[in-house]
Amino acid sequence: MKIALSWLKNYIDLPENIDELAELLTFAGIEVEALTRLEAVPKSVIAAKVVSAERVPKTDHLQLCRVDIGSYDYPEKAEDNTIQVICGAANCHSGMMAVLALPGSKLAEMDIKVAKIRGVVSHGMLCSERELGISENHAGIIELPAQTPIGADINELYELPDAIFELEITPNRSDLLGYKGIARDLAAKLARTLKEPATPELPVATGDLKLGLYNEEPGLCPRYTARIIQGVKIAQSPLWLKLKLIKSGLRPINNVVDITNFVMYETGQPLHAFDFKLLTSREAGAAHPDIVVRKAYPQEEIVALDGKNYILDGDELVIADGKKASAIAGVMGSEYSGITFETRNIVLESATFFPGSVRKTSYKHKISTDSSYRFERHLSAEYADKVSARATELILKLAGGELAGELYDSYPQPEVRKYISVRPARFELLIGYTLSDTEIKDYLQKLDFEYKGKGRHQKGLVESLPALEDKGEAHYYAVPAYRKDISREADVLEELARLSGYDKVPQITLPQQIMDRHAYYAKRKAMQHLVAWGAYETLNYSFSDPKQMQKLGFEPETLPFMKLINPQSQLHSVMRVSLVPQLLDNLAYNLNHGARDIRLFEQGKVYLKTAEGHEEPTKLAAIFCGSRMPGHWQSKPQAIDFYWLKGCFEALLAEYGIATEIRSFQSPYQMDSESFAYYAQDSFVGSIGRIKPAVLAKWDIDSSSLKQEVWLLEAETDILAELSRNKELKFQPLSRFPAVSRDLSFLAPENISFGELKSAILALDSNLIQAIELFDEYRSKQIAEGFRSLSLHFVLQDQEKTLTDEAVEHLMARVQKTLIEKYEIKMR
Amino acid sequence: MQNQLAAMLQDAALKIAACQTANDILNTKANYLGKKSLLNSLYSRMRELEPSERPAFGNLLNEARQKIEALLNERNNAIKEKSWQASSRSLDYTMPGVPGARGGYHPLTIVKREVDEVFLSLGFEIAEGPDIEDEFHNFDALNTPADHPSRNLADTFYLEGGKLLRTQTSTVQIRVMEKHKPPIRIISPGRCYRNDKPDPSHSPVFTQVEALVVDKGISMSDLKDTLQNFAVIMFGSQVKSRIRPHFFPFTEPSAEMDISCMVCGGTGCRVCKQSGWLELGGAGMVDPNVFDAVGIDSELYTGFAFGLGIERIAMLKYNIPDMRILFENDLRMLSQFRGELQ
Ligand SMILES: [Zn+2]
Repeated sequence: MKIALSWLKNYIDLPENIDELAELLTFAGIEVEALTRLEAVPKSVIAAKVVSAERVPKTDHLQLCRVDIGSYDYPEKAEDNTIQVICGAANCHSGMMAVLALPGSKLAEMDIKVAKIRGVVSHGMLCSERELGISENHAGIIELPAQTPIGADINELYELPDAIFELEITPNRSDLLGYKGIARDLAAKLARTLKEPATPELPVATGDLKLGLYNEEPGLCPRYTARIIQGVKIAQSPLWLKLKLIKSGLRPINNVVDITNFVMYETGQPLHAFDFKLLTSREAGAAHPDIVVRKAYPQEEIVALDGKNYILDGDELVIADGKKASAIAGVMGSEYSGITFETRNIVLESATFFPGSVRKTSYKHKISTDSSYRFERHLSAEYADKVSARATELILKLAGGELAGELYDSYPQPEVRKYISVRPARFELLIGYTLSDTEIKDYLQKLDFEYKGKGRHQKGLVESLPALEDKGEAHYYAVPAYRKDISREADVLEELARLSGYDKVPQITLPQQIMDRHAYYAKRKAMQHLVAWGAYETLNYSFSDPKQMQKLGFEPETLPFMKLINPQSQLHSVMRVSLVPQLLDNLAYNLNHGARDIRLFEQGKVYLKTAEGHEEPTKLAAIFCGSRMPGHWQSKPQAIDFYWLKGCFEALLAEYGIATEIRSFQSPYQMDSESFAYYAQDSFVGSIGRIKPAVLAKWDIDSSSLKQEVWLLEAETDILAELSRNKELKFQPLSRFPAVSRDLSFLAPENISFGELKSAILALDSNLIQAIELFDEYRSKQIAEGFRSLSLHFVLQDQEKTLTDEAVEHLMARVQKTLIEKYEIKMR
Repeated sequence: MQNQLAAMLQDAALKIAACQTANDILNTKANYLGKKSLLNSLYSRMRELEPSERPAFGNLLNEARQKIEALLNERNNAIKEKSWQASSRSLDYTMPGVPGARGGYHPLTIVKREVDEVFLSLGFEIAEGPDIEDEFHNFDALNTPADHPSRNLADTFYLEGGKLLRTQTSTVQIRVMEKHKPPIRIISPGRCYRNDKPDPSHSPVFTQVEALVVDKGISMSDLKDTLQNFAVIMFGSQVKSRIRPHFFPFTEPSAEMDISCMVCGGTGCRVCKQSGWLELGGAGMVDPNVFDAVGIDSELYTGFAFGLGIERIAMLKYNIPDMRILFENDLRMLSQFRGELQ
């Protein structure tokens, strides 16, 4: 629902700051979905009179106007106070009062300058509502009331500046579907007074017209009221009324229809007006027409105000005259009985309809109107007469006429007043802080809940008050009829929490954040990776024997052992400083038990003496020997080697998202030329390499009879966890353009590494080259001594456009040129 | 010309029926519908007819073309269907499939991980601390008297330089309470050490998980709730739990926790020594002296703690008879647990 600040201010004094008000609404539970500011127009936008308007020759719509700007000071003004303005609007005519933006005016959407249109000079522009920013209407220029004085202040006329709030009203709150309801909530929240329009005092009925009213469906229409006003003069509404409707997103029609809309937006209760003369009687020759509230006849047709013909199936409730349906109840009136400029006598309907029936009809015929929207959300029947009086008062004032007879009112089963009990203690239990009895009373009374006294708590709504006593735990309130959403104590507690503010709800328990979740899951990840690569986890004692490290090739005296005072044996005399000896124990044990193709790992702490005391870093070690895959009759076994292990470790590093470089590595227990270390920003993160047969021999593993190489992977789990901390994966947009593949085979000198070639190629165009995959390496007698054949697969892709063959060939030619010139490569 | 057409149609039907491959279809199509086909020449010879006869003959030609196209399509589909049928083969489905290369976790890791998950889902956090501890965190702060036998060399491993190997992970609770204000809900899993010779039910190195909850209004009832919750998630909904009085220096009152024997369901068997109950670990309400040692107001806050042995749970759960098996790392043991943890 769209509401204008200027209109809302009629019912309550509000804070000046618009953002503050928007915040206030949202935190009262009335969410502001959009806020549009209507800026004040400059002083150079004035009310002006079009004195003459003539068609500009050879144009079909431009008019050359002389516009009277009165005493406004403008250099090009003629002696008769007029200036020349070109206007393209069809409704521009001589004699009208219009809004003129003089050159130099800065409007929301444009700056007005002296312009030459079709060779004719125009000093400014006559404005539509859109140019003033008050609506989207651009169909014609604004016609101000004839009595508006020339030079009148447009900001005053249009109540500018202003703000339009687009509100999301939750479906339970039918009472918020009008300005007064919103103001009432704000009044409760701000502890201010709601400014209600004075109760109308209607004149004595003097008219002679009469009406018959028959409510045949009181179940679907709990209340129907009708009032005859005779002798009205249908005309355009005054500017103030039009403006209110326009700013709320409604289109002004005529004074009577505008008043029904105005009152609907003020009170939330829809109204409808019929042309009395067009209503017929049930019986021929009767003295007065009739209104019949009934279900539609099957196949009954009605042409509604939207000009469409609806064929009803009999379930819909209609408001009919003696012969045919003149409105789909609560949804839309008929075309034939609507108010026109010829209407003299009207019937004003103010009624309530059963929400389910209106919802069904609206859904079935796909008509949603301001009226159906409100009736679907359950309005109380208690206010139909009061709303009717408010509209009647305005009609008499703006359209004249006199009342004929009293209010026709069919209200067979008046709504029963209901009470609800609220326990203040319950508020604290549910919401988490206390409100005093007085605060509770203040908030609820502002919402029209009437305090009755204390008593014993009862669940839900009750129709009669229990015995009231001073010491009762619960407070009894009469629920206002319009609050159909209040049926339990919890509903009232919600009202209190909403008004006193969710920001007051205390946050008692802060998140503890003791756990280092990242480190915990980073450790899991390393283990998961090794399990996926076929390794079994081992767990070994934290104790060790210094001799174990000696077997690996270390001088035990140089190692930072933490020594036990009371070890159970020499074997358990120190805390371990490496995971490797025990993994070799595990390997030897399992080989001795006949296992082959073994993969084992352990992730655990080692314990290192330091100058300050000691450290307990978590490390990872894995040992591998034998076949890459478990044996299968369809495939030939292939042994684990350096490249398998490299793939395994680099895949792990990739899972952590860590960029590393590989360097040569010296280790006492691994082959010098077959061991490599990985570094990330100069931190050692791990190593891979082949264990020396001489070291294996110390564990009684005879590599020549085993015929399986033993490979080792070691990683610094703690450092990997640290380096991967705060790394966030971000989705990369997918290229909409196809990737292109190319293969390239060549002979490369043996002394040039694949890595060197790859970086040289990537350096040529790292945007276009998405991937370079090596898919073959071989040597043979056909290949010159000192060369090897390499085959590369290129994936090329442009993120911005489709790659042309030309671009691909150009790039591949550059690749070849670089390879040949820089690396003495021979193309094949 | 009409006779020619009829003969051609008959001929085409025979040739199409004789097609065996997709290539045959293409050739036959060229012969009967291509540029040099009879049909095509008949189209050009239409002008030899009287103008009045042309539309009828034109229709005949079109019909003939459609007929041939339909026959070709039908035959083509039949050939394809036949080749798909031919791709079916018979298999000796008893021969072994390709084995996966996945390894597996150690059973102690599996059990520890399950315990972690249970407590994480109950809103606990996991806190870890050092294995090598000082006497304050392992004994003093846990209200252990200076002359308590557990401090002996026969019970606790000591290191050069005065440090020791923690005998329980309650040390982590102390470290957390020193640094963090309540509310605290943590478990602290980790290795612990006691000077026991390895035997079927003892190991000098073992794994413990301790739980600690400190907040306002924590009572023994919360301890019972948490224990029962843990037991049900870990061992199944039919499992019952109980606590019975015991003594620990760092809890007051102290208790031992039992769960109903899942081997016999509580009726009594060899595993539970006919009692129907299995001992799970120690528990109790945090001793006020422990709170004093870490500077938490014991008038304002209360808490409970309990400890579980991971080895014991693993042995109960998987029916492992001897604790030493867990540290042998025999692949014949390890590979049995391959499917236990994802
Ligand atoms: Zn049992």
